[in-house]
This record gives sequence, C-alpha cells and structure tokens, in this order.
Amino acid sequence: MFRFVLRHFNLYVLTLLVLCIFSFWLAYLFPGDPLVNLTGLTLNDPADYQAMAQKYHMDSGILVQFWHYLVLLWDGDWGFSFSSGLPLYQEIFDSLPATVELSTYALLLSLLIGIPLGFLAGLRHHRTTDNALLAASVVGYSTPVFWLALLMILLFSLQLGWFPLSGRISLLFDVPHDTGFILVDIWLSDMPNKGAAMINAVQHMVMPVLSITIVTTAIVLRLTRRAVVEVMPKEYVQAAYARGLSKHQVILRHVVRNAMLPILPLLAMQSTILLTNAMIVEVIYSWPGIGNWLIQAIYQRDYPAIRAGMLAVSTLVVSLTIFIDLLARIIDPTRERGARAKI
Amino acid sequence: MPLLDIKNLTLEIESTQGWIKALDKVSLQLEGGEVRALVGESGSGKSLIVKSIVGAIPEHWRITADRMSWKGQDLISMSSDARRRIMREDIAVIFQNPVNSLDPSASLGEQLMESIPDHLLDKGWFWQRAAQRKQIAVKLLHKVGIKEHSKYLQAYPSALPDDICQKFMIASALAASPKLLIADDPTRGMEVTTKVQILKLLTRLNKIRGLSILFVSHDLLAISNMANTMTVLYCGQTVESGKMHQLRRRPLHPYTHALMESAPSFRKDLPPKSPLATLDGTIPTLQHLPIGCRLGPRCPRAQRECVKVPEERRIHNHFYSCHFPLHRSLK
Repeated sequence: MFRFVLRHFNLYVLTLLVLCIFSFWLAYLFPGDPLVNLTGLTLNDPADYQAMAQKYHMDSGILVQFWHYLVLLWDGDWGFSFSSGLPLYQEIFDSLPATVELSTYALLLSLLIGIPLGFLAGLRHHRTTDNALLAASVVGYSTPVFWLALLMILLFSLQLGWFPLSGRISLLFDVPHDTGFILVDIWLSDMPNKGAAMINAVQHMVMPVLSITIVTTAIVLRLTRRAVVEVMPKEYVQAAYARGLSKHQVILRHVVRNAMLPILPLLAMQSTILLTNAMIVEVIYSWPGIGNWLIQAIYQRDYPAIRAGMLAVSTLVVSLTIFIDLLARIIDPTRERGARAKI
Repeated sequence: MPLLDIKNLTLEIESTQGWIKALDKVSLQLEGGEVRALVGESGSGKSLIVKSIVGAIPEHWRITADRMSWKGQDLISMSSDARRRIMREDIAVIFQNPVNSLDPSASLGEQLMESIPDHLLDKGWFWQRAAQRKQIAVKLLHKVGIKEHSKYLQAYPSALPDDICQKFMIASALAASPKLLIADDPTRGMEVTTKVQILKLLTRLNKIRGLSILFVSHDLLAISNMANTMTVLYCGQTVESGKMHQLRRRPLHPYTHALMESAPSFRKDLPPKSPLATLDGTIPTLQHLPIGCRLGPRCPRAQRECVKVPEERRIHNHFYSCHFPLHRSLK
C-alpha cells in the first residue's frame, strides 16, 4: 500500500516539475525580455531592473535561475499582471474557485443524471430505450459547447427571459469574498437578503452549469452503459442468478459495484474536458473564473498571466487526475495493487 | 416421479452461419438420492446442460424441450419468480470456473452469507441475523475443509488460490441444504488430498441427507467411485445412459467403449509402455458438426445409415442411441 501511494506521489511531483519547467521556459519563449515576462513589471529605472535581476538571479546559469523560480513559486510570488498590475497569485486564487464551483456542480449533476441513465441503457442493451439514450448521448456529446451556450442564451434569456444573461450574481448584492464559492459565501455571510441572493446566484448558475452538464452527462452515460454491458454477461452475475437472487438483488449487490469500479478512473480523465468546457462557457457567460481570466490574458498578450494561469490550471487538472486514480485503486479490491501509477 | 426430468432438450446458438444446435435432443433423468455422472469430452456441452438447467443462458439463445421438469413442475413455462424460488431452495450449482463465478469486488464472506437463505436463521431480531449468518458460514467452511475461516472470510477472490475459491463455491452451494447439487467439475485444479476430501464430503451428504448429485466431470475414476448412474454425452447428443456398473461392464455405444478404453486406470490388464486406445480425430467444432450421429466420422463402426440420427433404444434401464451397438455384430 505504501509503495503504491509513493508511486503516485512520485508521478505527481515529477509531472509538476515538468509543468514548472515548461512555465519557466515560456518566459524565454515569449517575445520580450525574460525578466519582464517573469516579473510582469515594466522596469524603466535601471536600479529597479538591477534589483529584480538580482532577485531572479538572471546573471547566474539557467539551472540556478530555475531553482530560484521554483522557490519564488513556492512562496507565492508569481509576478504581476501586465494589464491589471496586481499580483498574479492573488488574481488566480480569486478566480479559480469560481471555475471549480462551476465544474463541481456540473460534474455532480452529470453524475446524478448520467449514471442512472447509463445503467438503464446498459440493462436494456439493444432495445429501444438503449438506442434512444445512445442517440441522445451522441447528440449531446457532439454539440459544441460554445454554440450550445449561445443557443441557450438566445432561447432562455433573450426570448423567454427566464434566466439572466451573464455574470455570477446581480450587482445589487454585495457578497463578501470569503471562500470564493459563491453559494457557500452567501450561506456564510450575514447579508440582509440572504434568501434572495441565493436565488439570484442559482439563477445565474443554471445556464452555465447546464451547458457543461450536457456534454459531460453524455460521456458519463456512455461510460456507464459500456461498463454495465460488459459486466452483465460475466459468469459471476449468472452465478448470482443461479444462486436464486432476484434481479434487483443481483444488480444492487453485484453489478453496480463491478460496473462502477473501472469507470471511476475514467471519469477522472474527463476532468480535462470538463475544465476546458467550463473555461469556454465562462467566456460566453462572463463568469468571473480562471478561464475567462486566462482568455482575457491571451487577448491582451499578458505574458506573465498566461504563464502563471497555465501553471495553475494544469496543476489543478494533474492533481485531480492523480488523486482520483489513487483513490480508485485504493478502494478497488479487484485490481493489482503494485501496478504503476499513470495519468 | 423423478426429481429432475429432461427429455429432448435442444439448445440453439446463433452464429454467422445461422442457428447451431449446441445441444441436440439431450435426455437426462435424476431420481431422488441418486448420484448421476455426466461425462463427455471438453466441448461436448456438459456445461451447457448445467447452464440450461439453472437458467443461466443468454436470452437470445433458443431453448426447447419436450419435457424439462423439477418434481413434475415444468421449468420452462414456469414464471421466473417461481423458478428463482426453486433455485434458491432446492437446486444448488457449483460452477466450473470458481474464480470467474465469484464476484471480484465482494469479499468471500459476503458472498457466502448471501447464499444462506432466511429460513435457516431462527427468528431473532434483525440485528442478530448477521451474527447467525456468520456462524452458519463458519460451520459450512469447516465442513468443506477450510480451517482458517477468519482469514478467508474477509479476503477477496483475486487474493486467494483457485482451490480455496472452489471450496467457497461448494460451501455456498451447500448453504441452502439443497435437494439437488449440480457439480460442474467440482474438483478441478485441486490437489489429490483435497479432492478426496471434497468427494468424501459429497458422498457423505448423498448417503446421510439423500442429496442427489449431478456430477459433471472428466475424472472417470472419481465418477466410478461415486456415481450410481451415468450419462455419456458426445458433441451435444446423449449417446448412452444407464447404471454405472452396467456401462462399465458392457458398454453398448462405441463412444462409451472408447471412453472407457482411453482411461488407463480402468484397465487392469494394460501392459507397460503399450499405446493407449484412442478414437481418431478430434471433437468437431460447433461450426462443423456432422449430420446424423455426430460421432459418425470418428466411429470405427460407422456405416451409411449413420447419417440419420439414431433413435434412442433401451434395454431395461439402459438407454443408447446407435444404429450398430456393440452387442450386435456388423453385417
């Protein structure tokens, strides 16, 4: 067990190191002075320039520079944004929770819808229900998110006026920034109109969450269906029937667990797609998350922000993937424990 | 009335070349307290018969029979609920492949306790039931010869050797104290000592409790010690069935004869280093089944009439399906 956790830890550290190397390299790849790309400051005063060069050890070898870059990253000194002039660490950790919140709700919702539907389709393999669900999932899977989001805006906010067009909450409410998760923040705060603020925030959330959910649900449905179809003809399922268990008992006791165990790591893999979709959706709904922020940075050629934002997002994805994979293997008694860790 | 009565059971499997009769008019009868051996080469459909009896065949396969009844109740037309009750209380199965027949994600204890029916627990409160189940499970494990029960009850099938899993299968088959035990190669992959132990257990259960056993195996020696009656199967057709000693002393079907000849332990007069008797050829694949008597191409006595399926004939309780049985001389 220890060896097994250690292997995942090794993989995690090495992957993060590669990401750090890449982000450091970006400072040199981007046009302009590497020092400016690293700090994000316009250093017109030679004295300031000297001080910064000293801090980043620009006159030493590349490895020493990288080492000091790592130390600064660890200390939370990620440089400053070109466009806003604010520290990047602050900016990223202000906007990241909004994205995580959006993706979490979308993921939970799609698991809640996708897994039962997947079971339904898998248990009715090659029948009308299965075919209908499969067709629906193909449609959901192949719809481009940005287009779907625009359609939803056209229909639900412009035509029907059910939901607000963009943003996270109406400007009328002043929610203190505490955890970064807006629903949690409203819950914890002592605002006068908590209930109204909650309803307003949820209304803002419906469309972005739904646009991401549709794609993710389609993936979850297909994965679950396949797993169920594979488990159903297994000998132990037949043996359980032969033991005189009813269909419900067989499914609940033997099929569910065996179908879900192998797809848990596969679901972790979907976090990349989920996050990418969340970032696109954020731009369309002006959701103040990391995706929106990062794409603005790309528009404005804000090199330090691109460097730091890429590092933050990829670290999030890698952490999620490796952690869920580790979890899946720890709770799965059917798998060989000594297997190598992989992404 | 026989316990289990199967007459002309036919199982058809769909393949790319159309429907194939994997079982062709198989008949099998089992009286209460009888141990019947079901013998045949691998690929002769022994396990398919077992699966058809317990209903563990895929839905799209076609199964037809003139008669397939359990104590006079028809198994095919029966509602799935009623059939499930019979499977739960009266019939137990030991499947051929223990590792695949156990749920890899559930601990062995969980699976063993699951097969203990509720009526065996005395009426306690519901929180006492788990403990009672565990007690029964431990007793069952001791019965099949597993001593370190606490070690194995928590374990998962992938962590244990095959023979322990097989013993768990046997234990869970005996849990409901069934009337009929269908044992599909129950001693496969076991050491000789454990094998003897299991066979002794089964024989004892048969003698004491009157448990009927349908014993499916390759192991002719074990069979001849245990079984009272025997059905010989070739390629999905029943070729001969009757009392064990009759079949051993005077087989009527050429295939039975060849089968007995091929087992060295059955022949006391076998000189050292002499070649063993075999039938030429191999058992045909399902895609290339011969018409008529399926033994035809391999049979030393085959003649032109053998392209027609022989009728089943009987001499007292000895059934055989052959145009040219061994007790009649060839023209």
